[in-house]
Amino acid sequence: MATMTKAPATSTKKDYLTAIKEALVEEMERNPDMICMGEDIGLLGGAFGVTDGLQERFGSQRVYDMPISEAAIIGVAVGAAMNGKTVMAEMQFIDFISCGFDQIVNNMATYHYRTGGEVALNIVVRGPAGAYGGGALYHSQMNEAWFAHSPGLKVVVPSTPYDAKGLMKAALRDPNPVLYYDLKQLYRLREIAEELPEEDYIVPIGKAAIRQEGTDLTLITYGQNVYHCLDAAKKLGEQGYSVEVIDLRSLVPLDEETIVNSVKKTNRVVVVNEAPKTCGFAGEVVARISDLAFEYLDAPPVRVTRMDTPVPWSKPLELFVLPTVDKIVAECLRVLKF
Amino acid sequence: VRKDAHTDCSTQENADLSPQSTAVSPKTSAKSGSKNNGTTEPNQSPVASALLTKEQKLEMLMHLYLARYFDVRLIKEKKKGRLTGTLYSSHNQEGIIVGSLYGLQPSDWISPIHRDMPAFFLKDARAGLDNPDRMGMSIEEVCGQVWCKVISPGRARDNWSHIGSKDKRIIHSTSMLAGTIPVAAGAVLADRLNGQNTVVLTYNGEGSTAQGVFHEAVNFAAVHKLPVITIIENNQWAYGTPTHLEYSLEDFARRADGYGIPGLVADGQDMFDVYDKVMWACDYARAGNGPSIIECKTFRAYGHGDHDDDRAAKYRPKDLVDKGRERDPIAVAKRRLVAEGILSQADADKYSPEGKGAGQVSDEDFPANVVAYLKKGVDAAIAAGLPAAEEGGKWVFREESN
Repeated sequence: MATMTKAPATSTKKDYLTAIKEALVEEMERNPDMICMGEDIGLLGGAFGVTDGLQERFGSQRVYDMPISEAAIIGVAVGAAMNGKTVMAEMQFIDFISCGFDQIVNNMATYHYRTGGEVALNIVVRGPAGAYGGGALYHSQMNEAWFAHSPGLKVVVPSTPYDAKGLMKAALRDPNPVLYYDLKQLYRLREIAEELPEEDYIVPIGKAAIRQEGTDLTLITYGQNVYHCLDAAKKLGEQGYSVEVIDLRSLVPLDEETIVNSVKKTNRVVVVNEAPKTCGFAGEVVARISDLAFEYLDAPPVRVTRMDTPVPWSKPLELFVLPTVDKIVAECLRVLKF
Repeated sequence: VRKDAHTDCSTQENADLSPQSTAVSPKTSAKSGSKNNGTTEPNQSPVASALLTKEQKLEMLMHLYLARYFDVRLIKEKKKGRLTGTLYSSHNQEGIIVGSLYGLQPSDWISPIHRDMPAFFLKDARAGLDNPDRMGMSIEEVCGQVWCKVISPGRARDNWSHIGSKDKRIIHSTSMLAGTIPVAAGAVLADRLNGQNTVVLTYNGEGSTAQGVFHEAVNFAAVHKLPVITIIENNQWAYGTPTHLEYSLEDFARRADGYGIPGLVADGQDMFDVYDKVMWACDYARAGNGPSIIECKTFRAYGHGDHDDDRAAKYRPKDLVDKGRERDPIAVAKRRLVAEGILSQADADKYSPEGKGAGQVSDEDFPANVVAYLKKGVDAAIAAGLPAAEEGGKWVFREESN
């Protein structure tokens, strides 16, 4: 992946972090019942600056600097949302979400179900996620599978500035709790900065995007692995293979239609995610393909994931356990030649 | 500050002041009085109950009978095999429920847990138990839940006390203890942002105070001076574990000291003492001073749940249980009302379920209106249907968007 450099100040292109921030500001303007809660999100503007200027603009009664209490952040968000508010709850790093785990999976996720549809919670829980940055064990995780496995939560993972803004807006207007994964290595990545529409827009939750069309093999992924897969597709293209790259964008709900249509066309599939292999979301995608399109497969569906290890600190260790372009290319070739 | 916050409080003494019911233990009030940063708490017994009318006090007694009758009736139904699921008896702890609820405003929130089942229908009971517009659940809804029927407010999706109502301002609990305190804080935070001056009463066992989320939520409420009143029903046992293995101090109210908020001790057997302390805390919160903790000392009459009744003897010797149940809240209330001349001894003796277990009481031990009220709920529950099977797959997500 390209190294991280800041977009030049003169460019009208917006980077990924700015896209999230714009979505928050615009939704705070649009919806007077929206509040934000998180650690250091007010005075400081967040560890990465995602909420920079938000408290200044909307006040400390709408943007809360919370104690280091993830369970309280989620629990208070649940209470406020139950009583009519829209809440953006930030986890300073998505790794820390485990401290609020019970409040998410047993309280927030189940609220609509256990009240027989009475209560709907308009909450977005988001935070910086992902590896490849030397963040080590507790600042590198992708734990989306925990929440995809908890009925009642929607899970989205945007990979572009356009999607980051559009999915955030969609999530903040969705009457269900949404887990939103920011990829912190993409925040300031100049190469993916892009012009964003002036007018209000959303990216609908539950719709995948085909990032590159192809006919020989489908690479299915999400998050920053989208860029690894595009690089792998390019390399495979140089060898004469036409590879389709699908960016899921939403894990729950999952766009099965786009997946199945692609598999019907290419008959070969490799699924990539940076979370561990066992019970990771890539496994779920493979299972859905087996259920829905087995007869179209010409080769076994294969996963490229992190090894079943934590994310280690030192660069050679980190890249050893994570999906890389070379690993993806190698697995694609295995499937292509099956 | 206390007098400003509580102008309707006279100095009249509590009539049934047993040594245990001393409003605030001197060490507690003295300590936090010196340590608190701008907060305060009563330095003498607050007696809001002195302003209750005779009719109101008798109504509270009726609510106490109702809570007890609900409990014993359900135990009997369960023993006859008519109910599924576990019962968590509120027997001997009803004074906390009645005393804490009676003075609430209709728009206030409550967050009951498993041992507070009567709270669902006693909330805003002053508006009339049969009043469909009151801010509490009907007895039909509560019985519908106990009988696991479709008329339950949660359509029988989660069990026992895991029901609530956004409209009636009753927070839906889960099995994770103390897990609804942050929800309660969020609910009143939203009210505050909307310009409403409400309070929330959260109910917790003393065992719940060891949960991390208890600390996180009370701490947050204290920082933002949110009107969150944390009631700790100290019934001496967290399932099978005694209090000295849960907390290193005698009074769980001392948990408050670490947050700089008032921590009061109430006699949980005396609903009027509970009423006094809760009214003080409500006034304190409504005046913008923030949260407080009220520990109500009580004793769990039965096992943790009815599944545990037979095994409870393993960890609770009979003589300890007998001693713990000596001060039945119905007896304590009647003694006070007789001493105040509100109730004649003859009337007090007319209905005497106090000190009797579920197997020893009959309908004759309760006023006829109490029996009739519950009968309506039970009849409705029995007549109601089970939910349609396919509802099991519904309402994972709300479909329409905002």
